[in-house]
Amino acid sequence: MTIFHEMYGAYFRIAAKVLGQPEISEQALRQIVQQEGFRDSVLFVPQKLIPQPDGSDWGLLRRTDSGMLRRITQHAPQMPLTLLQKRWLKAKLSEPVMQLFLSDETSAALNDALRDIKPLYTPEMFRTVDAFSDCDDFSDPLYRAHFRQIVQAIRNGEVLLIRFRSGGGERIHTRFLPFALEYSAKNGKFRLYCRRFRAGHLTGTGLINLGRIEKITLTGIRMSQQRSPAELFAARKCTEPVTIRVTPARNGVERFMMEFASYEKHSELDTATGCCTVQLWYDRQDETELLIQLLSFGPVLEILGPPAFRAKAAERVAKQYALLFGQQC
Amino acid sequence: MAGFSELIKSFDKTRDYIRDFFIYGFKRRGDFQRRSSRTYDDEKRRAESWLGDVLCADDSVRGRQISISVDCGHIYENPLCQAYCAKSFTDNDIRLHMLLLDLLADGSTRTLNEIVDGLLDQYDAAFEPQTVRGKLKEYTAEGLLITEMRGKTAYYRRSPETTQDFFAQYDGLADAVRFFSLGDRFGEIGTELLRSAGLKNEMFLRKHHYIVHTLEDILLPEILEAITEQRAVLLRTFSAKSREKADAKGGTFEAVPMQILSSVQTGRRYLAAYLPAERRFHAFRLDFIRTVKPADPVQDYNNLADAYRRSLRHVFGVSFAERKDVRNVKPMRLTFRFDPQTEDFIADRLQREKRIGTLSRTGSDLYTLTADAFDPNEVMHWAKTLIGRIVAVGGGNAAVREKFRRDIRRMYQMYGGAPHDDLS
Repeated sequence: MTIFHEMYGAYFRIAAKVLGQPEISEQALRQIVQQEGFRDSVLFVPQKLIPQPDGSDWGLLRRTDSGMLRRITQHAPQMPLTLLQKRWLKAKLSEPVMQLFLSDETSAALNDALRDIKPLYTPEMFRTVDAFSDCDDFSDPLYRAHFRQIVQAIRNGEVLLIRFRSGGGERIHTRFLPFALEYSAKNGKFRLYCRRFRAGHLTGTGLINLGRIEKITLTGIRMSQQRSPAELFAARKCTEPVTIRVTPARNGVERFMMEFASYEKHSELDTATGCCTVQLWYDRQDETELLIQLLSFGPVLEILGPPAFRAKAAERVAKQYALLFGQQC
Repeated sequence: MAGFSELIKSFDKTRDYIRDFFIYGFKRRGDFQRRSSRTYDDEKRRAESWLGDVLCADDSVRGRQISISVDCGHIYENPLCQAYCAKSFTDNDIRLHMLLLDLLADGSTRTLNEIVDGLLDQYDAAFEPQTVRGKLKEYTAEGLLITEMRGKTAYYRRSPETTQDFFAQYDGLADAVRFFSLGDRFGEIGTELLRSAGLKNEMFLRKHHYIVHTLEDILLPEILEAITEQRAVLLRTFSAKSREKADAKGGTFEAVPMQILSSVQTGRRYLAAYLPAERRFHAFRLDFIRTVKPADPVQDYNNLADAYRRSLRHVFGVSFAERKDVRNVKPMRLTFRFDPQTEDFIADRLQREKRIGTLSRTGSDLYTLTADAFDPNEVMHWAKTLIGRIVAVGGGNAAVREKFRRDIRRMYQMYGGAPHDDLS
């Protein structure tokens, strides 16, 4: 049992899709290769599927008199679930978050169907060392109900009337069109990406912690997002990236690159000094989180700009200096 | 570039290059000295083919550098899962796969000879019985086929369950797989399940998402199996500084695996294991492990596991430190100042982030966190996220306390404009 096996590969998937049709044209075949394959697969795969005079193809298609390609198989390929996939599903049944997706009855039925399958892992084989302790309670019936309402609303493009408490403690009761659910393993929480719905129009994007939602009411109003998620996420980004200089001291460059690997960034190395200059883009709502994460590197890195961001770092450092040494230089 | 293939036989080299493209993003062709330029060119072209637009080439003053630039919090599919879709195979492998599954699609049960004959009769495909037997054995192990012994004869049939059946039968399962396909516990398996059912994730996102972990998953099955079977493993590792070879700091270790540790703040994953030769626990970075091989069963595994769990009470992050260090370390005591009326969010932060520490109110606006950790450096790395609030640092050891004070002085100079000393 291996996770790196050709049957999970792009070429097998292409072949299965091509054989899904009794007959196919060369053009349609090439389209499938382009859709399902890698960027350059079209240079390698068509000649293995299309019969070749020298027999170097995979022998899965025959050319018909009309020039079409006919499969030699009789059925559209159906890939059985592999043992690895079943073991993975069985393992997932033990993760608390699974309760959000499956009802208790469905979970029991799936568990029963996989009763002879050994899970790929058990929860105690993994440990997240620095996850926050106040994670959401995924077994809470209200939370589960809200989660499912949101999933359906995203799928159907339905506006929801949501009552929730904001981070500042304010109670808000407004209509929103949800478009994505974000999970953070660090926080153990889900947040809902949504757009405010007002007078028939969508405005701005916001994030609501699912744990702060008190009530969701379906409105029956359906509408499209009008803008793609990528555009909406881009609109939330900082206008100017943070620029940081990371020194090689204390293995700083490697540590920084690992820790900030999840950010979109551009880096450049100065071979003379070993310092790396990084530009890093972030969601404006995460600015404080980014700031404290950068400060945790101590003097190994310096925030060069933008000036307002650097000033916030300087303010915290000055305050800390005063606390430790009793005065500011 | 003659002989170039998008597919690969083994994962090692690719894992290495993709990781460097993704993590560093500033390396040029000349920086990849551990293998030939030809290898670099092939790996780069392969990465370009697999990853498409997320692989960027920038012209810097040092030359052209390759990077994988992804805003990992806003992607619906982990692009690095593509590496798992690139296993090489022979023409016979794919032909036999498609024909075998087609032959057995009707649910019939057949012997080896009947299958060999069926392949010839129905598809005009002549395969050696030995070749077919090998594939039947392999596919039985992978779960695609079910083998029944009737007397001395083996009968084969196709496993009846498909992904589509499961998704149709268990309401909510497809969404669960969409969600888990981005996770760091074999997300690539979820991605493959979705693809095989013609589905996509267009709903779930992950914050604090370290997509590079998927490349380390290749090591996990052996490790998890060893934990289940209470076996040791042989690890081949490399050090950070010379990843191209097994050097003095790297090498081979016999280790008794305990747990996979992951940090959602540093982006690293580790194998926590007992080292019999050194009689201590140690956390190996997964990205610095080359290979894992099963070794002998461990008789006193349960006792070691108990000792491991006891040790965890003193592990703030992943460091078990060494015993000689532990003797010199006292519990860290960090005192924070904030206004409980207007800044209660700091109290919330301390409460949820204190891990093994205990928190107590030591003044009207003072809270003290005590953490009896093997490695006080790990506590201090976290404490620096609370810069601006720390009134006093006690316990630990003198070096750690002094390092913190020195760092704050340097940072103050750094942001105040005054020159600062070199770091040590």
